[in-house]
Amino acid sequence: MSVEKLKNFINGEWVDSESTEYGDVRNPAWDKLLCQVPMSTKAEVDRAVQAAKNAFPEWRNTPPVARARCLHRLRELLEENFDELSRVQTTEHGKTIDESRGETRRGIEMVEVATGIPSLMQGYNLEDIATDIDEYCIYQPLGVFGHIAPFNFPFMVPLWYLPFAIATGNTFIVKPSPRDPMSQVELFKLFDDAGIPPGVVSLVHGAADVANHLLEHPDIKGMTFVGSTPVGKIIYRKCGETGKRVIAQCGAKNYLVILPDVDLDSAVPSLMTSFFGNTGQRCLSGANAVVVGEDDAFFKRFVDTFVEAASKIRVGDGLDESVQMGPLQTGESKKRVIGFIEKGIEEGAKLLLDGRKLNLVGDVPETCFLNPTVFGNVTPRMTIGREEIFGPVANIMRAKDLDEAIEMIHSNPYGNAVSIYTSSGKMARRFQHDVMCGNVGINIGIVAPMAFFPFSGMKDSFFGTLHGQGRDAIRFFTESKIVIQRWF
Amino acid sequence: MVLIWNSIQAAAVIRFATEVEEKSAQFYDDCAKRYSEVEETFLSFVRENKKNVTLVKRAYYGVISDALEACFSFKGLNVDEHFFETECDEKAALSDILKMSLEMENNIQDFYQRASALSESLMADLPRALKKVAEKRKERKHTLESLLDSVR
Repeated sequence: MSVEKLKNFINGEWVDSESTEYGDVRNPAWDKLLCQVPMSTKAEVDRAVQAAKNAFPEWRNTPPVARARCLHRLRELLEENFDELSRVQTTEHGKTIDESRGETRRGIEMVEVATGIPSLMQGYNLEDIATDIDEYCIYQPLGVFGHIAPFNFPFMVPLWYLPFAIATGNTFIVKPSPRDPMSQVELFKLFDDAGIPPGVVSLVHGAADVANHLLEHPDIKGMTFVGSTPVGKIIYRKCGETGKRVIAQCGAKNYLVILPDVDLDSAVPSLMTSFFGNTGQRCLSGANAVVVGEDDAFFKRFVDTFVEAASKIRVGDGLDESVQMGPLQTGESKKRVIGFIEKGIEEGAKLLLDGRKLNLVGDVPETCFLNPTVFGNVTPRMTIGREEIFGPVANIMRAKDLDEAIEMIHSNPYGNAVSIYTSSGKMARRFQHDVMCGNVGINIGIVAPMAFFPFSGMKDSFFGTLHGQGRDAIRFFTESKIVIQRWF
Repeated sequence: MVLIWNSIQAAAVIRFATEVEEKSAQFYDDCAKRYSEVEETFLSFVRENKKNVTLVKRAYYGVISDALEACFSFKGLNVDEHFFETECDEKAALSDILKMSLEMENNIQDFYQRASALSESLMADLPRALKKVAEKRKERKHTLESLLDSVR
C-alpha cells in the first residue's frame, strides 16, 4: 500500500515536492507510519518566498477591515473543523485528546484576537507639535515573514504569529516540524475557503536545510522560531547578520515553588498538569518543584501526595478518553529521557517513582511510552536539575526560605516560566517582583499567556526584543512610520 | 448502551454527560409513545436533553485549553456510580415508569452536581453549565413528583 506524501502549499496551490528525500511521520502511540513529508528544495523555498513577495503589495493595500473578515471566516472554519483538527494532533503527536482540543482552542484564540486588527493597528498623532505642524505615527507592514515551528504544539505555535502577521498586512511562510506536519496541512486546507489570497500564506515542508534557506533569504524581513536554545541562538545570530527581525522562543527549566501554607489538595492537580501535561514536552512544563521551609512533616506530605498522584496517571493512546498522558513523540525522545533518568540516579538523586517501569492502558506498543518519573534529593547542579529534559520527569528539591528558592531559580540560565503556590499574598507579591523570569504563575502551574498578552521569556529562553502574541506581535510585524506635516 | 467510563479526563466526563442525555432522552421518547397521559411532558424532556448536550459541549469546547487542567480534574468522580437502568416492562404501570424516572433523574442530578463541584477550580463556564443542568434536573424531578401524585 502506498503511503501518502504530503504536499507543499505555495501560491495558493497544493504542489508535489520535487525533492527525492522524504521523512516518515509516525503515530507515536501505535508506532505506525502515517505519511511521508518532503525535505523541500531551495528552489521550492525560493518559489514560496517569491509568491509571498508578489502577494504582499495587494494584501497590504487590502483594508484592515477586509483582512479581518478573512480571519473571521478562518475562525468559523476552525470551529467547524475543531474535532478533526484536534484528532490529527493527537494522532501525529501523541498528546491526549483533551490536550489537543486545548491546543486547538488556543490557536483559535490567536485568530480571534487578530480579527481586532482595525483597532490594534491604529497609530497615534499629535496636532501642533509646532505651530501649524502635526505629527503622526503610522504602523505599516514590512513584507514576507517566516516561521520555523516546533514539534510539541504542531497546530498552535504557528498561530502565535501567523494571524498577527497577515492581519497587519504581511505575508507568511510556515515550515512545520517534519516530525508532525499534518496539523499544519489541515490548517492550511482552510485558508483558501477563508478567502485569503494566493501567496499570503505558504507551507513549505522540510528540516534544517529549509530553515537555513529561509534564514538566509534576502527577501524575508523577519523570522519567528520556537524550539531549543542552541538552535535559537543560531537563528538570532543569523537574523542579526542578515538584518531580519526575530522572535526566538527557546528552552526552559521551570521551577515551581511550594510554600507550606498551600492547600495541597487544590495544588496537586495543577502540579500534575504542569509536570506531566503534554508528556512534559513543552517549554512551560514544570521541571523542579522546590518545597520551601524546614517543616519536615509538610515536606513528607507533599512528596507522598505528589508521588501518589503521579503514580496514578493513566498512560496510553491519547485518543482513549480515559488516558491522561500520551507517549513521547518519538522512540528517540524516549531514549533521551531515559538517559536523563539514568544520569539522575548516577549523580545521587533519589528515584521515588520510576517511569521506566511501564504501566500502559490498552495494548499499545512500548516504543515511545514512559510513565511519570519523580526524583527526590535533587540539587540545581545535577544534570537533571539543570538541563531541560522535555519529558515526564519531575524533580523535588528543598529550600530553607523563599530567598534561597529564588537564588536556585536565578542560578539556572533559563528564564521562561516559574510559579509559586502559597496562600500568602505578601510572599507571592515578593516572588513576582524579584524573580527574573518571563512568565510568572501564582497558584497556576502552566503560565501560558492568553492571545492578547505577549508570551514572555528571559535569559536563555528568549532571543529578540518583542515577543509573540498580543500587542508585542503587532509591533513586531509592523514598522513605525512618522509623518510630520504642514500645509501652506 | 453501556456506561462504564471510569475516568477523570474532562473529555470523558463530557462524553458521559452526552451519553446520559441521549440515553434518558431515548427512554422518555419510548415512554411518550406508550403513555399518552405524559406524552407532552416527556417529549419536552427529550427536547430539553438535546439542549443540555449543546449547553455542556459548548462550554467544554469554549474553555478547553491548557489553562484548564482537564486531564487531572474531576478527581474522585466515578461515573460508574451514576449508572442507571432504562429497560422496563412494556406493560408497566405509569406510576412505575414515573418512579423509575425519578430514580434516574436523582442519579443524573447527582452526577451533574458532583461534576460541577469538582470542576469549580476550572474556568467558570464549565462548572456553571454543569450546575445549570443539575438545576434543570431538579425542576424535572418536581414535575415527575407532581405527575406521580396525580396518578396515585
